[in-house]
Amino acid sequence: MSEVIVITSGKGGVGKTTTTANVGTGLAQLDKKVVLIDTDIGLRNLDVVMGLENRIVYNLVDVVEGNCRIKQALIKDKKYPNLFLLPSAQTRDKTSVNPEQMKKLIEDLREDFDYILLDCPAGIEQGFQNAIAGAERALVVTTPEVSAIRDADRIIGLLEANEIGKTELIVNRLRMDMVRRGDMMSVEDVCEILAIDLIGAVPDDEQIVISTNQGEPLVGSDSLAGKAYQNICRRIMGEEVPFLDLNVKEGFFSKLAGVFKR
Amino acid sequence: MRYTIDNGFYKTEKEIKKERRTALQKQPVIIKSSKNGINLVLDETLPFDALLEEIKNKFVDSEKFFQNARIAISFEGRQLSEEQQYEVINVIEKNTTISIVCIMEHDDLMDEVIKRRMDAYVEAHSPQTGQFYKGTLRSGQQLESETSLVVLGDVNPGAKVIAKGNIVVLGALKGTAYAGADGDSGCFVAALDMNPMQIKIGDYIGRSADRREPVRGFRKKIREEAAGPQIATVYEKQILIEPISSGLLKNM
Repeated sequence: MSEVIVITSGKGGVGKTTTTANVGTGLAQLDKKVVLIDTDIGLRNLDVVMGLENRIVYNLVDVVEGNCRIKQALIKDKKYPNLFLLPSAQTRDKTSVNPEQMKKLIEDLREDFDYILLDCPAGIEQGFQNAIAGAERALVVTTPEVSAIRDADRIIGLLEANEIGKTELIVNRLRMDMVRRGDMMSVEDVCEILAIDLIGAVPDDEQIVISTNQGEPLVGSDSLAGKAYQNICRRIMGEEVPFLDLNVKEGFFSKLAGVFKR
Repeated sequence: MRYTIDNGFYKTEKEIKKERRTALQKQPVIIKSSKNGINLVLDETLPFDALLEEIKNKFVDSEKFFQNARIAISFEGRQLSEEQQYEVINVIEKNTTISIVCIMEHDDLMDEVIKRRMDAYVEAHSPQTGQFYKGTLRSGQQLESETSLVVLGDVNPGAKVIAKGNIVVLGALKGTAYAGADGDSGCFVAALDMNPMQIKIGDYIGRSADRREPVRGFRKKIREEAAGPQIATVYEKQILIEPISSGLLKNM
C-alpha cells in the first residue's frame, strides 16, 4: 500500500515541479518504488525537469480515457529503475480529467508503488481539485514572499476543508544573505504565519537552474539544495533529521568589511 | 383548565364563552371590523342553517354600508368547517355586492405563542451573547455571526470576520474585521495582536498603514512598541486603536 502525496502551493513558480522531481528522485535513491504524476494538463513540465520528454508516447489523459493501459503510459527513469513518471497531456486542458477519474487511477497504482507523488498545477480550480482528489498527505511549497504566503495560506485552508490528512510546509528559494539584512522573511516568520509543521527549507541555488535545464534532478549531490532535498525525503519517511544551517560561510575579507561597516 | 388571553386578562375558556354568549343573546351575528378586514362573531348554539339566514339578513341590512366592498373575513365565536366557511361566504356574496377576498385565521392563543417564541429567540441572539470559533481563519475564509464573535486563534490576512455585535480575537488579527455589521457603531474589536488589514465598526472604516508587513530586521523594534492586547472603537467618527487597560474597560 502506498502513500499518496500531493505537492501544491497555490502560487505559480515557487518550485512545485522542481520539488516533485527532486523528492521523487530522492525517495528512489533511498530504494523506494516511486511514481510521479503530472496533473498539470495543458502546461506539462514535470517531464522536462526529469529529462524524459523524448520518451513520452501515452499520457495521463490517454489512460483516463481508456486509450491505453497504465503500464503503457508509465515511463521508467533514466537512472533509477524504481522511479516512474506518468506525464500529462500538452494538447488538452484541465477539463479533460475529473476528480473521480483521478481517484480511480490512484487506486489502480496503489499496489505497485510505495509513494505516489502528484505535481499539482497553480491555482485553486479544476486542476487543483483533480490533484487533491486521491491524496492523503500534502506538501505545501512556498517562497518567503508576501504574495506566495497569502496564496499558500488560502491553499492550506482549502486542504483543511477537503480533509487532506497531514499538511506540511516546504520553504523554497531562501536567500540567507537577504534574511540577514532583514530584506526577506526567515523560515521562522513564514512558519508563524502559516502555522503548519515545517518539513524542509531549501535555499536558492544556481545549481537548480542548471539541473532543470539538463533534466537531471540534483537531490543527493553536494550542493546545499541537493542536501536539503535529501533531508526532506528522509523526513517524509519518518526519520528525524536536524535542519541544515543554510548560512553560507563568509570569506575572510567579507568578514573584515563587515567589521568596518558597523 | 385552558387559559386564554382576552383583553389582557387571563380567563378560562368557560368564562370567555359565557361572556360572549350573554353578549350575543340578541345578536347571533355581529360584524366587527378588525384592522385587516371584518371579523364575523358568530353564535355557537344556533343550528348552521339558521345561522346562515341570520348572516344573510345581517349583511343585507348593512348593504349600503358595505357597497361593492372587497374585504377579508375572519370568523370568531364558532368553529366552522371549510365547507361551512365557504357557504357563509357564498351567502354573503350572493346577496350583496361584497366580494370576499380571503379568509383570515383568527387565533388569539396562537398569536401569543408566536410572540413569546419570537421574544425568546431575540433574547437568545442579542449582542449580549456570543459565538465561539476555535481555530485559525485562513486567507479566503469568512466567518459571520448574528451576535458577537470570539475567535480562539488567528485571523490571517485575506480572511474576514463579520459580526453584528463585538469581535474578540484571542490571537493575531491580521485580516479584516467588521463589527456592528447592522450599523451599530458602538461595538468594538479586540485582539491580542492587533495588526488588521481593515477594521470596520458600524459605519466607520479604517485601514492599516501602507507600510508592508514588517520584515525580519525591523520586526523586533516594531514588535516591542506595539505589544499587548489592543481594542478598536469608534471615537469622533474614526477608528481608534488603543491598548486595553483596566481604566479603559471601566469606561466602556
